[in-house]
Amino acid sequence: MTGPFLLLSGTALLGAVIAGGRAPRLWLGLNTFAAIAILAAAGPILGGGAAWAWCAPWTLGGETPRFQLDAISAFFLVLLAVVGGAGALYSRDYWSDREHPESVVRGRIGWSGLLLAMEGLLIAGNGLQFLICWELFALCGFFLIVLENRRLAVRRAGWLYLAASHTGTLALFAFFTLLSARTGGWEIGPMRDDPSLAPLLWLAFLGFGLKAGLFPLHVWLPSAHGNAPSHVSAILSGVAIKMGIYGLVRFTGWLPAPPGAGWVLLALGVGSALFGIAFALAQSDVKRLLAYCSVENIGIICTGLGAALLARNADDAPWGRLVLAGALFHVWNHGAFKALLFFAAGSVLHATGTREISRLGGLWSRLPWTAGAFAIGALAVSGLPPLNGFASEWLVYLGLFDAATTHGPSSSAALPAVMLLALAGALALATFAKAGGLIFLGAPRTQAARRAHEGGAWMRGPMIGLAGLCVIAGLLPGLLWPVLARVVAAWHPGWAGAAGPAPFSALGPRPLMLGLVLAGAAWLLTRTVRAGGSHRALTWDCGYAKPAARMQYTAGSFGALATRWFRWLLRPERTLRRPRGLFPSGARDLERTPETVLERGLDPLAKVLLRGVTIVRRLQHGGLQAYLLYVLAGVGLVAAVVFLGGKS
Amino acid sequence: MKPALILIVQLAVWLLLAPLLPGLINRVKAWVAGRRGPPVLQLYFDLARLWRKRVIISELASPGFIAGPAVTWVALLGAALLLPLGPLETGWGFRGDALLMLALLALARFASAWAALETGSAFEGMGVVREVSYAVLSEVSLMAAFLTLSVQSGSLSLQTMLAPAAGPGAALLAGGLFIVLLAENCRVPFDDPDTHLELTMIHEVMVLDHSGPPLAVILHGASLKLLLFALLLVQAVLPLGNWTAGTAAGALAAGVLIVVITVGLVESLLARLSFRRVPLLLTTAVLLCVFALLMAWKGGAA
Repeated sequence: MTGPFLLLSGTALLGAVIAGGRAPRLWLGLNTFAAIAILAAAGPILGGGAAWAWCAPWTLGGETPRFQLDAISAFFLVLLAVVGGAGALYSRDYWSDREHPESVVRGRIGWSGLLLAMEGLLIAGNGLQFLICWELFALCGFFLIVLENRRLAVRRAGWLYLAASHTGTLALFAFFTLLSARTGGWEIGPMRDDPSLAPLLWLAFLGFGLKAGLFPLHVWLPSAHGNAPSHVSAILSGVAIKMGIYGLVRFTGWLPAPPGAGWVLLALGVGSALFGIAFALAQSDVKRLLAYCSVENIGIICTGLGAALLARNADDAPWGRLVLAGALFHVWNHGAFKALLFFAAGSVLHATGTREISRLGGLWSRLPWTAGAFAIGALAVSGLPPLNGFASEWLVYLGLFDAATTHGPSSSAALPAVMLLALAGALALATFAKAGGLIFLGAPRTQAARRAHEGGAWMRGPMIGLAGLCVIAGLLPGLLWPVLARVVAAWHPGWAGAAGPAPFSALGPRPLMLGLVLAGAAWLLTRTVRAGGSHRALTWDCGYAKPAARMQYTAGSFGALATRWFRWLLRPERTLRRPRGLFPSGARDLERTPETVLERGLDPLAKVLLRGVTIVRRLQHGGLQAYLLYVLAGVGLVAAVVFLGGKS
Repeated sequence: MKPALILIVQLAVWLLLAPLLPGLINRVKAWVAGRRGPPVLQLYFDLARLWRKRVIISELASPGFIAGPAVTWVALLGAALLLPLGPLETGWGFRGDALLMLALLALARFASAWAALETGSAFEGMGVVREVSYAVLSEVSLMAAFLTLSVQSGSLSLQTMLAPAAGPGAALLAGGLFIVLLAENCRVPFDDPDTHLELTMIHEVMVLDHSGPPLAVILHGASLKLLLFALLLVQAVLPLGNWTAGTAAGALAAGVLIVVITVGLVESLLARLSFRRVPLLLTTAVLLCVFALLMAWKGGAA
């Protein structure tokens, strides 16, 4: 039944692309239906069914279209369906016809197109198909990012995204072309036995790493995800960058890996995790903060994948299973909680019109559902039990600890990786204590925050659903282990029947018990307080009589202490005007953390490059006489070559 | 022993004995200063008194203001129950429980930070910033310490990790863990539990607006945390697993007492560090633990 369901979902999405212009209800229905159909197609394969493959009986432009759906593809398809469906529902109110009449149609068409392209990419069994879908997916992403194209920042973000995306596509073109040249066809599938293919993986790392947003290839990510509408940010962060991860998982699984691949991926992953979260902590724009946090989570995933490569290449160590399963589980988890956080951030933006953390505050009483959803997302992204982020990070740590204790060659990579991931984890906690605390708690800092009110049921529903998924996956991770084991087996058949009990069985019912006890204790204490009597009063604040909202900690002051340790990397720009004289008229202290790699690294480089190119540009100035001279000189040169060449 | 019985004994030790430690530290401090000092059981009286009090809640606070301390306390108790008590084996240790313990400590931190930010006070914001920032370094130290123990014992379960001695780097590990203990439990030279000068505080300032039963829960949780770190330090260093049950229990108690007395002495003899120096001392803790790890790793490879 896999084939028909896939066909149904594809048709529904195609229909949604067409219906997007005229019939918003039909569009919503078709998107939801497509999401369900995708789940119906992918579910049985994750549940243990045989992988599906279909080869068209006709050829198209000399190529046979091939489709395949194995556990790895199915795993990513499920994420696509869940976040894609939730985002479509969320966008109904968030990007409504009434509020965005000029862009809503483009938004709907782009959304369904994006889902369709990603679905095609995930089930492609042919390199050309993969590339076509990849390009379509990148273009749909571009159109979604620039929905609000009246704003300069949005257009800039869109161009940067497009440029970065095409750089990646270039690498992938080279990768697939070389691959087909060596194998003699565009068909892609397991090619583990041909060691000559291994060096090609470096090209794939570049192309997919750019899409995934690995540090330092992440330069496009913060501005794109920060400036896109929030439902678009959710699918970009939750699913689209996972296509890069899909590519990495897919081709590290299908191709033999060069010896250093695991080390490089692990180092890039750990670096992304640490630097991504350091940048996140320094942000004062909530959506940019979330975007940088995606860099961190991609880093955690790549750390796991790199360690799994090390394990596979070195000695087939069983701990490789754990890290890979953890990395894959984190793909799902990050998709769920990051989409949730972006939905919540979108709800805040919708209600207040600002993304600046320092202009918000005290929103919990005005947006209680959003506050609850953000709190759950923040707990999950900080890797705290009993939520899903903890479960996947626990697996990664478990595998890395095993690698460390075996004293194998990989342990010298595992030891620093564990400590740096711990550092990143603690910074993530600080980042989300900041984001959650400053946005939703305390007193509202501006009039806009004071007047905010909750969005409708269409915005609340997807948030509640995703929050529920985060909680369930965290409380009962054991249910998901068989799925993870199947995906791991599809990546490396050698780990298919690996003995030993599921690692989550060690965790057992503890997350569930912890969740129940936590809820029970909170309820009990609240009841005790209520029974004993309580009254409301001004925040005591050591007896300060008139606390004001502006006295609260701001986003900048919150991050200042820990980000100071990363000054060498972050290079914040500070404008400070001290109060002067006896009656100072004003003072200000502004700090902005630039996208350092872009603004301090790539921009100067590009300027030098452009200056070099301007010399060439002088040739092209529109003077007719000079052009005639070029033609004459060209003809003369050709004539000279012909005559001289003829003689010798 | 039956698991239920073990659980009861463990709960009794943790819940009833933990509030003794701050009293003992105060005793040591009073003795050094030549004062009579508060009774050893002062914290028990305080807890009983607070439990009966009415609560004042900030106008700005959400339900998380009350739920936060409850979550913190449960997380700390959960982390404590994962720690074996020397000869008294927990029946529920498992592979990877060390990681769960670290995560529970982090959960406690998050919940207390959340509850503190509820009030919208600049002081409490300041405390939260310091708490979550300095915790970054103590978390790395703890992770390095657990790695050391794990490499040393070849296991990932606290029960087996803590049974043997910490190997060649035991002294380094003890030093590192002791600094972390001081930092995580708001002790001099990081923080002064006695002052109420807001500008000098980390943990204390986060609970300024709490009162009544929630404050009691916070104080009890803090004492749990102190006992947890003291027990962890002693068990990490001493090879309790090689001794008979009686000796091990005695050594454990004596070890905790020594830690407590040392904390009291440090508090009496040292001044609080300036805040710029705090990261430096914590980095020292990280380095001590990392060197212990390197020694364990090289030692195991030889």
